[in-house]
Amino acid sequence: MALDKRVVDGNAVVALSGDVDLQSSPAVRQQLLACFDTHNRVIVDLAGVTYIDSSGVASLVEAFQLARKKNGFFALVNVSAAVMRVLSLARLDKVFAIHPSVEAAVAAQG
Amino acid sequence: MGKPRAATAAADRTPSSDPSALMVEREIKDHLGLIAEMTRVFATSHDAHSVAASALERITVHVGAEAASLFLIDDDHETLACSACYGPVDITGMRISVNSGIVGRAVQRQEGQMVRDVRSDADFGNSIDVKTGFTTRSILVAPLSVGREALGAIEIVNKIGGDGLFIAEDLVLLETLARAAALAIHNFRLTDRLLQQERERHELELAAEIQRDLLPRPLDRDFPAHGLNIPARAVSGDFFDILPLPDGRIWFNVGDVSGKGMNAALLMAKTSSLFRCLAKSAEHPGQLLGAINSELCETNSHGMFVTMVGGLFDPKTGRVRLSNAGHEPPLLFHGAAQRFTAIPADAPPLGIAPGIAGPDGFPTVDLDLGGGSLYVFTDGLTEATTFGGGMLGIDGARALIRDHADEAPELRLKNIAGAVKLPGQSLRDDLTLLVVEDNLPLHTAVPPPVEDAVTTDGEIMRLRVPAQPDRLRLIRTSVEQAARFCNADNAWAADLVMAVDEACQNIIRHAYGSRGESGDIVIDFVRVGDAMEVHLMDFAAPVDPATVKPRDLGDVRPGGLGVHLIRSVCDDARFVAPPAGVGNLFKLTKRLGTKV
Repeated sequence: MALDKRVVDGNAVVALSGDVDLQSSPAVRQQLLACFDTHNRVIVDLAGVTYIDSSGVASLVEAFQLARKKNGFFALVNVSAAVMRVLSLARLDKVFAIHPSVEAAVAAQG
Repeated sequence: MGKPRAATAAADRTPSSDPSALMVEREIKDHLGLIAEMTRVFATSHDAHSVAASALERITVHVGAEAASLFLIDDDHETLACSACYGPVDITGMRISVNSGIVGRAVQRQEGQMVRDVRSDADFGNSIDVKTGFTTRSILVAPLSVGREALGAIEIVNKIGGDGLFIAEDLVLLETLARAAALAIHNFRLTDRLLQQERERHELELAAEIQRDLLPRPLDRDFPAHGLNIPARAVSGDFFDILPLPDGRIWFNVGDVSGKGMNAALLMAKTSSLFRCLAKSAEHPGQLLGAINSELCETNSHGMFVTMVGGLFDPKTGRVRLSNAGHEPPLLFHGAAQRFTAIPADAPPLGIAPGIAGPDGFPTVDLDLGGGSLYVFTDGLTEATTFGGGMLGIDGARALIRDHADEAPELRLKNIAGAVKLPGQSLRDDLTLLVVEDNLPLHTAVPPPVEDAVTTDGEIMRLRVPAQPDRLRLIRTSVEQAARFCNADNAWAADLVMAVDEACQNIIRHAYGSRGESGDIVIDFVRVGDAMEVHLMDFAAPVDPATVKPRDLGDVRPGGLGVHLIRSVCDDARFVAPPAGVGNLFKLTKRLGTKV
């Protein structure tokens, strides 16, 4: 699993790649939550994610909840079919804001 | 205005032959009379403004001046506001800086100021004169303070008669009166604060009373459900409810609002009202908690949330349908077997995320009380301090339930609560307890299902790996290859990969992890007719299958979602009796060619 952070129009964009599983999700969770120390808008780019398990999904849920608490913005972008399968089984596909790209997520903030 | 009567009478009796000495003496007695009277008025009056106005008039006339005003320091500590005045122009409400002017100087230095000609004083500011058209010639100011707290100042302007100049005695008199006035102002403020506190206390009592009315009335001893709530403060963030339906079924809940105090109490009132109102039309607790969650999310702010167990009990069958939103796991106790079963939370607390409930609401669990008692409680019980000083904990709660099992329900709840509430001391946290009892004789006991014997005829492969997170990827690759071996398509393989991965996570996290043990996972891939079976074995202590529940939605705790994902993509998933030497055996079955 690899994690890359950059800033786009005031959004912290976290690009994850590889397998987000029990082995890597603690680091993902920590990095996502830490984004909110400096940014109120966080976008997670899942383009490179080959596999995500329930612990990875739980990290996303936790970041989503923190964003809500802070009245911030939290979105997932470039969600592959495999990741979407897990999100929809967890019935979280309607909970998260999901956009096709980073640009679309930024545009959605109006 | 006449001189104070007491002072005049005293002066009249004074034997003295020197006319000038007599005058001085009379003046002093006049001053003393005024001070005595003003002090008495300040001490006895309850109306600060009228006292201030009349006191200023008395002082002005007594000293023989043109005008006087009372300046008090504002809440911002930056300005002095005129709160009362006497004289030809009304400057009440006018503000001057606390750092400038002669009044400001008196306040800053905390000493009286006598300026006989303001034109020769660099600090004199004429802003008030400019606004009012009044001409200030001379000023006498005495600061008002109590202890080290500066309150403001009294100012007297333009001495009339004589040479038109104030004298030292005038300042001494004004300073003496200022001290009495300062005490009076201080007292007025204290009284105001006390009145305000009394009003707030009264309002809090009313709130507590209204809150108590929200709790159900005590029920007959034979009624199957009873509850108890003890607030840690005047008002409670905990609540419970018991709501019998006309058909004999009984709704019940126990909730705990995050935080304490009035804001928690208000959210408690809202949530318990929602429960009562929506329960009448809800079909089951999952739907009800889902509806309450949506309502709370629509309006709730400030990051507050509510944990809740909601249930629907049918005394005719002894069955409970239960939904647990992030709450302390209720305990089902069977007295005969001395056995406890915990019902963990299947969903996050209410008020955190809208739309998190599935189409059928929050997940529910069906329980057969089987003659047992279901205890629902808040963390006010488990986190309470015992007489010994430690935290009661879940084991302590179990011991209390066991110890008092034979008592009548209401007495039992009181005794359990009494074990953690020291007499005369308040609790650290609100405490709520509820019990639902299956009073009927044991309903038909359900025999444990006879599990299929595990067959290994069509073994594809066996994998033995250490139960560690860094081996999960290896396991996933193996599952994918096993699926390919059976000619499964990519989607089928991906689902099985996920199911096995989640099952292995549970072994790592719960079977071994909860006890800090380590060991291996053995996975058998077996082809049985048109299905693939995956047998996952561990060598940890046995897991109670009752505690492994499917979850219908994203739980905030990592891993909580896993069983739901497994059930979603497999045709069957269950614990089966393990062979000798194996701790647990979890069997997944997925038909080849089936798509979920």
